[in-house]
Amino acid sequence: QTILCFLRSFEYSQKNAVLVPVAALGVGGMLVYWLRSRHKIKTIEMGDGWWGSGERPLKGREDESIRPFKIETSDKEIEDLHRRLDQARYTPHVEGAAFHYGFNSSYLKKVVSYWRNQFDWRKQVEVLNKYPHFHTTIEGIDIHFIHVKPSYVPHGRAVQPLLMVHGWPGSFYEFYKIIPLLTEPAKHGLNEGDIVFEVICPSIPGYGFSEAPHQQGFDSIATARIFHKLMNRLGFKEYYLQGGDWGSRITTNMAQMLPQSVRGLHLNVVFIGKQGLGRLISIMLGAYVPWLVGLSREDARRIYPFMQKNIYDILRESGYLHIQATKPDTAGCGLNDSPVGLAAYILEKFSTWTDKSFLHKDDGGLESKYSLDELLTNVMIYWVTSSIVSSMRYYKENFSKDPNLTAYNRFGVHVPTGIAAFPQEIVHTPRTWAKDVYKNIITYSYMPHGGHFAAFEEPKLLAQDIMQFVRKVEQL
Amino acid sequence: RFTRVLFFSCRLEVFLVLGTVIIYFIFSKKKEETLPFKDGWWGKGQKADTKEDTTIRPFKVETREEELSDLFRRLDQARFTEPLENSCFHYGINSVYLRKVVSYWKNQFNWKKQVEVLNKYPHFKTKIQGIDVHFVHVKPPHLPEGQSAKPLLMIHGWPGSFYEFYKIIPLLTDPASHGLSDEHVFEVICPSIPGYGFSEAPHKKGFNSVSAASIFYELMLRLGFNEFYAQGGDWGWLICTNLAQMAPNCMKGLHLNLASVTKVGFAHLLSVLLGRYFPGLFGFQEEDVRRMFPFLKKGLYRILLESGYAHIQATKPDTVGCGLNDSPVGLAAYILEKFSSWTDLEFQNLEDGGLERKFNLDDLLTNIMIYWVSGCIVSSMRFYKENLQKGIGTQKHEKLTVQVPTGIASFPNEIMHTPQAWAQKKYTNIVSFHFMPRGGHFAALEEPELLAKDILQFVGKVEKEQLKKKR
Repeated sequence: QTILCFLRSFEYSQKNAVLVPVAALGVGGMLVYWLRSRHKIKTIEMGDGWWGSGERPLKGREDESIRPFKIETSDKEIEDLHRRLDQARYTPHVEGAAFHYGFNSSYLKKVVSYWRNQFDWRKQVEVLNKYPHFHTTIEGIDIHFIHVKPSYVPHGRAVQPLLMVHGWPGSFYEFYKIIPLLTEPAKHGLNEGDIVFEVICPSIPGYGFSEAPHQQGFDSIATARIFHKLMNRLGFKEYYLQGGDWGSRITTNMAQMLPQSVRGLHLNVVFIGKQGLGRLISIMLGAYVPWLVGLSREDARRIYPFMQKNIYDILRESGYLHIQATKPDTAGCGLNDSPVGLAAYILEKFSTWTDKSFLHKDDGGLESKYSLDELLTNVMIYWVTSSIVSSMRYYKENFSKDPNLTAYNRFGVHVPTGIAAFPQEIVHTPRTWAKDVYKNIITYSYMPHGGHFAAFEEPKLLAQDIMQFVRKVEQL
Repeated sequence: RFTRVLFFSCRLEVFLVLGTVIIYFIFSKKKEETLPFKDGWWGKGQKADTKEDTTIRPFKVETREEELSDLFRRLDQARFTEPLENSCFHYGINSVYLRKVVSYWKNQFNWKKQVEVLNKYPHFKTKIQGIDVHFVHVKPPHLPEGQSAKPLLMIHGWPGSFYEFYKIIPLLTDPASHGLSDEHVFEVICPSIPGYGFSEAPHKKGFNSVSAASIFYELMLRLGFNEFYAQGGDWGWLICTNLAQMAPNCMKGLHLNLASVTKVGFAHLLSVLLGRYFPGLFGFQEEDVRRMFPFLKKGLYRILLESGYAHIQATKPDTVGCGLNDSPVGLAAYILEKFSSWTDLEFQNLEDGGLERKFNLDDLLTNIMIYWVSGCIVSSMRFYKENLQKGIGTQKHEKLTVQVPTGIASFPNEIMHTPQAWAQKKYTNIVSFHFMPRGGHFAALEEPELLAKDILQFVGKVEKEQLKKKR
């Protein structure tokens, strides 16, 4: 009775004055919090790093100049190469080996003979120099990149900056055939709307003409940060990203680190990493009822039989990854000293990762998709820069911290994403699985042919897919 | 009615249990079957109709000026990559230390002298199944009264060679001169596995441990031995095991310094999970627990971190070996890294990989030179593919047991420890199992005296047992 009386008295006098504003505040506060948390995306912390020799200098600002760079060679370099090619020691392969034991030594002899007698490194250096190269120092190391602007921009069209990141055992050179298709699409019969790009292809630190880190711990997060700093230094606030192999991982990390700078992310390979029990069950069911677990017919065709394609094939092809992720300095030592050994190691990947059936061929099917000049130019980039060991260390730095490559999956990727799924890629990731991490897939295309080195092997297909993706993003 | 159903169901259960027991025994008896001898032809092209040449030809290791000047030229032009700061041996071999080794190799190492060292024991070659098989055959310099030399086949592994046994051979052929009991004296035969060192490499696919065992079996028969002892570690462990499974009546005893278990089952998983807390339940001794646990760190992670080489050699041997056959520095780096890590994993924390603590550079480089001058690194790696390509635990010989009297010397720094409880599931007649006080994977080279003593006591036990049986 007394309580009711108390309340009633309260009701008339205090309620309107106190309860209503308090309630309004409370509800309003909750609403604001809820709205903000919906749009608050967790990003990877940028952090900072120092990769030069010795201690980081306490005083002085880093030299931020962008210095033009030209690739050079010398008689001495070429003579040294020729001498090593001449003294190469081969091992006869077992009868009927084809490429099942690795690079076939009979075919290797033919490649080396071409390398020694017909391959013209001076001419290839001129080819490499046809695009402008630059160096700039970031976090203590020299970062190399090429920057190609369109020669002609039609009136009223915007030029989209596009950062393209290579992988292993590739280099910036893999993009040389696709760059003209992106900077001058009309000239090459590609008329994907109003999209024209200026392309920036850096070399990952430790690869090619980028200085190798001197400190331990240089992983894809550090690379992502450095490339953001590079784009910032070049004056870009917003840009597109494209990548495959390590490039896919780095550009993904970039999108997770500074989503506001990334207009769109285009990938030709998607790494999801280890999957859980639920995924395992859906894999088993998917063999019989693919539609039930979100797999398309093409997905099913590419991922089944599962054991064969995803377990056996990967085990068979991942020996290099295992040794590079544990003993890179050992694995790379001989390759930095023997150009023939280096060529065998690298070209084996260009064979098997382009088409798995190439394993059965005596010549590894290499020249059916590439010319020896372009393959050897890529090998030469590793040779003349002595970067094979540092390129292999990247595996250890990334895998020892995160063996399943899943540490950053929880961040998700919220920027508009385009995925080009090539049929001969080492492992196929269906859209339903990619959605676990890539929350905003704008385009997902099943490419008609092509393998791991998409930009190198199928530049036109990849360029068309990139343009189609960017057009959709720009229309959003 | 209920009691009748119960009666029937009881009978059914009894029947099922009996049936299972009977089937188990039938199948377990099957495991005692012998491994069939694997005939093969490993030579080039087609096998000729003519009868194979079975002569045993003496052989001398030789070198030429050209060989040395080619080596020096390559050492001079070696291109190194600076290691990351403070990385020691964590990224593999440290190139700063490697430079020192190469400098020694070029300026102090005397290959001509080492060739003479190699030739101090008699070498031979003989053609078996189409390929030349190389071996060293050392007889005792003098025999005690009334004794006969016991034949002992010692098989090396990768990246070793017959040379690993050079320190232990005198302890076995002439124990008295080295302060050991001369109750048993041996004549030692150390072959090179086909594809290693001075043995010809097989030209056909499929040359695995059973093929090697078959060839060595033929070798021993050709040398006139119908009873012998066998000793091995690394691949030698597997080949000797296969030999014991193939010709149990010829093998008096099998001594191993590595006894891996490749067929693992639920029982193993359980013992890994609970063995630390209930060691007695799983037959683990205190030393077993000390060496095996924590299992993730000492078992699984260690294997993952150290098996990259096996993974790539088992899948792409021709690729990975290519550069190593062309760059002696690369070859040395690859091989020396194993002599560091597999002797003591803690050596990875040292800037020089601890190599010269247990070995001298002359011995290490002699072993590497055997791979270099014979150009056998690629064929040595193929052995991994031929044995492992179908997966571990899938081959027939892995399912069979060994009944030959077995002695196991378990060295503490071996990459992974196998407790006796696990080993005796495969080696059903373990006569001696000892925890060695020190030493790693390359036991014969690193701790020849410890190994020799263990072999001698093992043979002593086997011989005593045999005498008892005879009486």
